[in-house]
Amino acid sequence: MAEGVLSPGVNLEAFSQAITAIQALRSSVTRVFDCLKDGMRNKETLEGREKGFVAAFQESLHSVSRDLGELERLSNLVGKPSENHPLHNSGLLSLDPVQDKTPLYSQLLQAYKWSNKLQYHAGLASGLLNQQSLKRSANQMGVSAKRRPKAQPTTLVLPPQYVDDVINRIDRMFPEMSIQLSRPNGTSAMLLVTLGKVLKVIVVMRSLFIDRTIVKGYNENVYTEDGKLDIWSKSNYQVFQKVTDHATTALLHYQLPQMPDVVVRSFMTWLRSYIKLFQAPCQRCGKFLQDGLPPTWRDFRTLEAFHDTCRQ
Amino acid sequence: MGVTCVAQVPVAEGKSVQQTVEILTRKLELLGAEKQGTFCVDCETYHTAASTMGNQGQTGKLMYVMHNSEYPLSCFALFENGPCLIADANFDILMVKLKGFFQNAKANKIESRGTRYQYCDFLVKVGTVTMGPSARGISVEVEYCPCVIANDCWNLLIEFMQSFMGSHTPGIPSVFGTKHDSIYSPADTMVQYMELFNKIRKQQQVPVAGIR
Ligand SMILES: [Zn+2]
Repeated sequence: MAEGVLSPGVNLEAFSQAITAIQALRSSVTRVFDCLKDGMRNKETLEGREKGFVAAFQESLHSVSRDLGELERLSNLVGKPSENHPLHNSGLLSLDPVQDKTPLYSQLLQAYKWSNKLQYHAGLASGLLNQQSLKRSANQMGVSAKRRPKAQPTTLVLPPQYVDDVINRIDRMFPEMSIQLSRPNGTSAMLLVTLGKVLKVIVVMRSLFIDRTIVKGYNENVYTEDGKLDIWSKSNYQVFQKVTDHATTALLHYQLPQMPDVVVRSFMTWLRSYIKLFQAPCQRCGKFLQDGLPPTWRDFRTLEAFHDTCRQ
Repeated sequence: MGVTCVAQVPVAEGKSVQQTVEILTRKLELLGAEKQGTFCVDCETYHTAASTMGNQGQTGKLMYVMHNSEYPLSCFALFENGPCLIADANFDILMVKLKGFFQNAKANKIESRGTRYQYCDFLVKVGTVTMGPSARGISVEVEYCPCVIANDCWNLLIEFMQSFMGSHTPGIPSVFGTKHDSIYSPADTMVQYMELFNKIRKQQQVPVAGIR
């Protein structure tokens, strides 16, 4: 490699001195181990032997530390290779004088361009595919295409104000449903949804994604002793335990990572169909009760009531 | 506290009160209901004392003081068609102090005792109604605990009651009619027991008169 290739960052003089210093360090380290290997030399008295050994050992350790200090000093002088090149060290390949035989650099640039293009096309494809999946889900949920919102930010760090707005809008959509939003544990919102005089739902959110939901009776306590929303204990009634299970299933069903607000709205629309939990007979068997439970299942698409065992 | 329906089941033909109760509880057990202890609802009748009545030809009102083992710390005081007062259990002592205004018609004391069953979210209490020493009838109380609006779950209650009461399934209790969509309360259950006890007291007079 021609001189000046590594410059201006590198001091070649210091470089060669540093190499010498490394050699010195290696030899002084070797001396330490030699000294230890040879052990105590023959001297008249035991005390003399010990003294001689300790002195020699100390001497060799000192030279190790001296050589190490010198190496450290020199390594500061050597400096760093330039990092200005856009491709960092791979840019050095362009300096190879025998381009024709080893066309590594041009190949690298080709690969780089190709990978950029791939990423761009993948982004476009993802956008198109997501539109398709929205169409299908929107039909499923009965949400009209006109109201399809533009792509929303999908990260988990949506501003709390945005989450508040989405929840407020849903709250206003359904008069028989009241939603109380609180943030007892930092930025994550918790909702207490009261549906008529039928049930209460605790919804634990992470940004606009629903993490957990617990359904309880209208007359059941939803707070812990210290007045916080009780997100752990389940309902005392079998019917609401069943509805909790179904609600958890619904969370898995309504998935649209690109548009979390649509998911929350779909989930709430589905949840609202429980307003007739005790009044709607099963759409399959026509009865109110099966094994002592009313129809606890609501179809995700039609919102019709079914007993757990009567769906499909 | 859910929505409750209290009904009377007639004694089966050729059977005693006790045997009819057994038939009912066996049906419940076959359904899968589990026994959960006992229950008791009692009712004492008070007359307004003659001394307190005005001279405008007012008739004496009856007041009922009731207890329900489901609410052991409470005492219920009701007038027929009138308000229902829910008080602490030591309300009874107050009634003793009010002897001058309300007199206890001891012979009218009536109560229903029996077994408490649980089936899923339902509570069922089948009781023998006794007045003095004799069994006078059978009461069946069915509560659907998860629901608080009477009219919301009436159809569901009927379906459940039909499964073990058959043709003796009652019609909609009159207290349901006035509830609309307000929340069902324990007082509503006591009103139903009061009405049931009054009905049984009156029924009893007929056969007794008929026999003699
Ligand atoms: Zn069914």
